[in-house]
Formats: sequence, C-alpha cells, structure tokens
Amino acid sequence: MTRRLALVLLALCLWPLAARAGDPLAAIVPGRTTKAELTALLGAPWRVVQFDDCGDEMPGQADETWEYRGKDSAGPYRLHVEFDDDGTVRLVAKVPDGGSKSATAKVAPAPSMKGMTM
Amino acid sequence: MQGLGIFLALALAAALPAQAQSQARAPAYPPDGPAIPAVANSEDASGAFGQEFKAPPPPKPWDRESIWNMKVEGFDDNQGRPIYQPLVVHQGSREILYLGNLGGNLLNPLTGKTEANGTSIIDVTDVAHPKFLHHIPGPSGPVAAAGAQMVRVCGGDVLPRGEKGKWYLLRAAGNVGPDEAQQVWDVTDPTAPSLLTTIVSGLSNTHKNWWECDTGIAYLVAGSASDGWHQSGSKQHLKIYDLSDPKNPVYIRDFGLVGQEPSADVATAQPCAKAPGPNCYEGNMNPPSGIHGPISTGVTANRVYMPYGVGANGVIQIVDRKKLLEGCKHPGASPDCAKSPTQADLLYPQVSFIAMNRENGGHSAVPVLGVPMPEQQSHYADGTPQKKNLLVVASEETANNCMGQQPHEAWILDITDEAAPWPIASLNVPPMPGDFCEKGARFGAHAVTEAIYPPYYGRIVGVSWFNGGARIWDIRDPKNPLPIAYYIQAPNANTIASCATIDGVSKCRNAAQNDYVEFDDRGYIYAADRSGTGVTILSLTGDAAKAVGK
Repeated sequence: MTRRLALVLLALCLWPLAARAGDPLAAIVPGRTTKAELTALLGAPWRVVQFDDCGDEMPGQADETWEYRGKDSAGPYRLHVEFDDDGTVRLVAKVPDGGSKSATAKVAPAPSMKGMTM
Repeated sequence: MQGLGIFLALALAAALPAQAQSQARAPAYPPDGPAIPAVANSEDASGAFGQEFKAPPPPKPWDRESIWNMKVEGFDDNQGRPIYQPLVVHQGSREILYLGNLGGNLLNPLTGKTEANGTSIIDVTDVAHPKFLHHIPGPSGPVAAAGAQMVRVCGGDVLPRGEKGKWYLLRAAGNVGPDEAQQVWDVTDPTAPSLLTTIVSGLSNTHKNWWECDTGIAYLVAGSASDGWHQSGSKQHLKIYDLSDPKNPVYIRDFGLVGQEPSADVATAQPCAKAPGPNCYEGNMNPPSGIHGPISTGVTANRVYMPYGVGANGVIQIVDRKKLLEGCKHPGASPDCAKSPTQADLLYPQVSFIAMNRENGGHSAVPVLGVPMPEQQSHYADGTPQKKNLLVVASEETANNCMGQQPHEAWILDITDEAAPWPIASLNVPPMPGDFCEKGARFGAHAVTEAIYPPYYGRIVGVSWFNGGARIWDIRDPKNPLPIAYYIQAPNANTIASCATIDGVSKCRNAAQNDYVEFDDRGYIYAADRSGTGVTILSLTGDAAKAVGK
C-alpha cells in the first residue's frame, strides 16, 4: 500500500515535469524505472509485444516491449520501451510513426548488447 | 523401394483428369489429402538460360513500398498485432484467413477489451475488402508465455471421424513458458469460435504443427520440462496424436533425432558419424537442436520431412510416415517406445538425414515432388524425360541488422535419391541494393510457402525475407532458380520499431518484416508482417504471372 502511494506521488511529481510537458523520455530512466513505475507514470501501454518465437534459440530477442502513442509538434510518435527480464526498463526511444527515420535510444548500461537486441 | 510411394503418388496425380487437377479447391492435396499435383515441363532444354532474365529492380527508399511483378489486391491491419503465420482456408462458401500471432496484447475493437495476442480470423472472400471477424485471445499470464503463433484447420467433412459440416482449428496456445498447450477449437462459425479440447498442456515449448486432414494425424511440436527429452536451443520435439475425432485426441508417440531420446547420456554422447554406437547423436550438436515444423505428404507418398535447428546447427530428416506412426507396434519396438524410445526405435522410421553446417538451421523443409528438369528431357539417363523430387529448405535469420550471424538463405535440395539429399541451388537475396542490413530489424530468410496450389506447384516458390520482403522464385529449372517477384511493405503507424546497438550507439527504426508468405487456393499471395504492419494480399503480374501460365 505504501509502495503504491509512493508510486502515485512519484507519478504526480513527474507527470507535470516530464510527460505533461511533452517529454516523457525524461521521466524514464533505463536501468531504474520499473513496469509499475511506468504504469503509474503513463498508464497502461497501447500495445505490448514479445517477439520471441523459438524460446532460448534467440536470446536477446525476448525482451518485452511496451508502446505508448503520443503526439508533439513533430507529429505522432510512439514511446518504445523495452524491459529486461526483471521488469526494469532497458531501453526507451521516441519513434516517429511510420517512415523509417531512426530515433536515438536511451539504454541501460547493459553488460552485453552485442547489437542483437530487438 | 524408398521412393516407391512418392512415385505412386505422382502416378496417381498424373492419372487424375486434367479438369480435376485444375479444381484448386478440391481438397485433395496435403494436408487435405494424399494426391500430389503433376508438374508439366514448360521450358525448353536451355531452362532458365533460355528465359529473358530480368534482374530484380532495386527497392525504393525504406519508407516506401517496393513491388515487382506483383499487385496489391487488399490489406488488413490485423488490429496492429504482429503476425507469425497465415493460413487461408476455403471454408464453405468463404475464404477465411487465420493468422497466428506473436506474443503481446492490444485492444480488440470488436470487444472493447485488451486481449492477449492469439488467433485472428479474417474473411478474405472479397480480397479488396477483408473483414476482421474475430480474435481468439492467446493465453493470459506473462507476456513471455503468450501468443498463438501456429494454426492449422481441417474440415469435419474430410476428417475421418469429424462431424460433417464442422470446421476445426488446431493451434499452439503459448510459446515458451511453464504451461503451454496445444488446443482444438470449433471454428464452424468463424465469428464465434469455441474451445473444443486441450490436447496436451503443461508444455514448456510449442511451435509449428502439421495436421493431416484426411487421416487426422497431427504432428505437434512440443516439449515439457518433465518429459526427459534432450534438445539444444528450442526445447521441443514431436508429439504425435490421432485427431481424426478432434474432440477425443489419441496419443500415438513422441519422436525426435537420435541423441534427443530421454535415455541418451548427453554427457558422454559422441557424433554418430564418428562413433556410431548406442549413445551417439545425429548432426553437429549435442544434443541435437529442437525440431521446428514437420510437413507430411500423407499416406501415399508416405514421407514426413523434418527440419531441426531453426537458425543454427541444423539437420534435415526424412522419415517413413507409416513406420513412424506404427513403429511402436513393430515386433522389435522397445516396451516404452512411445514416450521413451530407444535409439533403435528412432532409427526404425528414419530414411535419411543431412546435417547442415553450424551457421544454418532447419526452419522450413517443404517437399516439391516430380519437378521436370528442362535440360534433362532427353539424352540423360535412359533418354526419357527426367523429373526430380525437391525439398526447399530455409534457415531462419534471428538477429537484427545482420549482426553476429552469417547470412541466412534458402536452398533447393535434390531428394530423388532419398538416402543422399543434396543441395543443387540456393535462393538468395543480396543485402544490396536496398542496404537491408542498415534498414533495421532482421534481414534474411525465414519460411517457405507451404500451401499447394497446383498452378504454382513446381513452378514458383516463395520465401519470407523479413525486411527484404516477400520473395518469389521461378523454380521451373530447379538448378537455376530465378527471382521473379517481390513485395516489400512500407512501415505504417502500427509498425513496431526495431532497436539495435551498434558501435555503442543505440537506435530504433520502423521496419516492416515479412514473417511468412503464403498462397491460397485462388492464387492470391499473403504477406504477413511480424512487426505489426498487417497482412497484404497480392497477385502476380508480368513475368511472374507468365511463369505460372497466366
């Protein structure tokens, strides 16, 4: 109960500063922000994805991904958030809808990314 | 004797009236029946060299659709769910598209609820106006255990003990987790499916099943932590059931490669090629990699083709279907042959296997039987027109941005001499032009078209190539396959970004990924997207249409 209250307070504190100001990226800290904190901050995601299709045949592609839809002066975008196995944000990026323009991601200082993440 | 069944099947097909063969909707070909379409030679002795070869045009920029010798006929966004496998069924008077989806969840606008990704059902009778009918949710619980990637459908009129007029759907419920299952649903009314039975649950892994509709035999890709079987990579082997009465599944046996059996001593096992003996393993990996998705040619051709390894340490195995199904009743079978077979029990139905190199795995192994060799219509062998039995094999690319792996491609194997399968050609898409390795997501082979549509059979084959799109080859000269069509979908507002860290910089980019390309019984082609971009319905045009006699 105390933790939930703390999360709500955290969300109330962060929301005006970051998300409501149009920069939810600033409120999400890879390596620290958890699923519960993200839910408290932004609500339920628009879409959840898990790409793994062959179990441990494809390590590194099993990351659970949450997406939030948003819109700013540049147009519609998705907040793309990937979690590690313990439910902490590993990567977050603000990706413009459609098109193929790349977006720089904030990532946790993971020990081995090896360029194979999804 | 080994190829006798196959040639009987081909003879049977050749004996069918031409009109019957052209009735693509007749449910006679695998998985609906045992007939194999006859393939007529349509090239002169120069084969592909006699064709006016046109190189594939370079694709357009990444944010635009690229299409060659194909036409977009229709599209459905699949509610934004990422697709693994499409299957089109001529169901009564309608054409129904079933989509197995990857794990995740999303709002279903039809119900107003967020549903775990499962099986989508879309009426594609009018391809220009697909109608999303229903979504059967996947299993609830952790997203990692979710999805329902595979789907097969049989009619009650064809199943030996099915209820006339009914339609049944077989699916894997969940992918990797502690309690995955295989289920049968009643989809007679595709707008209101109902769960009929759970065949087996408590599984740790599932994948791509095969279901013979005319016999009811189902080859389920599955495994459980407690079954004692040994597999590297995907922890799955075969569990074979009789689903001729889909309400009452009857277990037949488990099956896999030598070295996967529960009694194998993995710690001391040696390669069978070097140290044949009671404790050895087939292929290059100890224990051998898990199976991906078998294909049976049914009772007449009497073969099951089994690819192991997905994207690494692959083995392609050819199995005698009758011996596989009846082997545990054989006088020489061990007492616990079904659940815990001995090495001898596993070898009994094996016709042969070919080990791939370590950088490739067996994702697809699709037989194409009786294909004329245009340059061998005279002079060779006894001077009579020569045909070959082929196996189209693909190894799955499993990494983003081409990183950390060798390229994954597809090959045509000559399996006419079943004891010694041999590759005779490769199906390849180069990363340039198109700069596919920089495009984001995966670039490489994935899956081979499986549906038998007689005008296409033995003439063209499709392979999904992730961000390289849906690719079609002319295989009328099997030793010299020609690329003749492609479709590369543009990213849209639903496309899931793919992220990669290269040289310390992490970037995300929207990139559509063709996960599967498949035919229907009207000749339409379905390009299903893994990144949530939807399913596109296509037809062939230009030289691709000419290759199939249009």
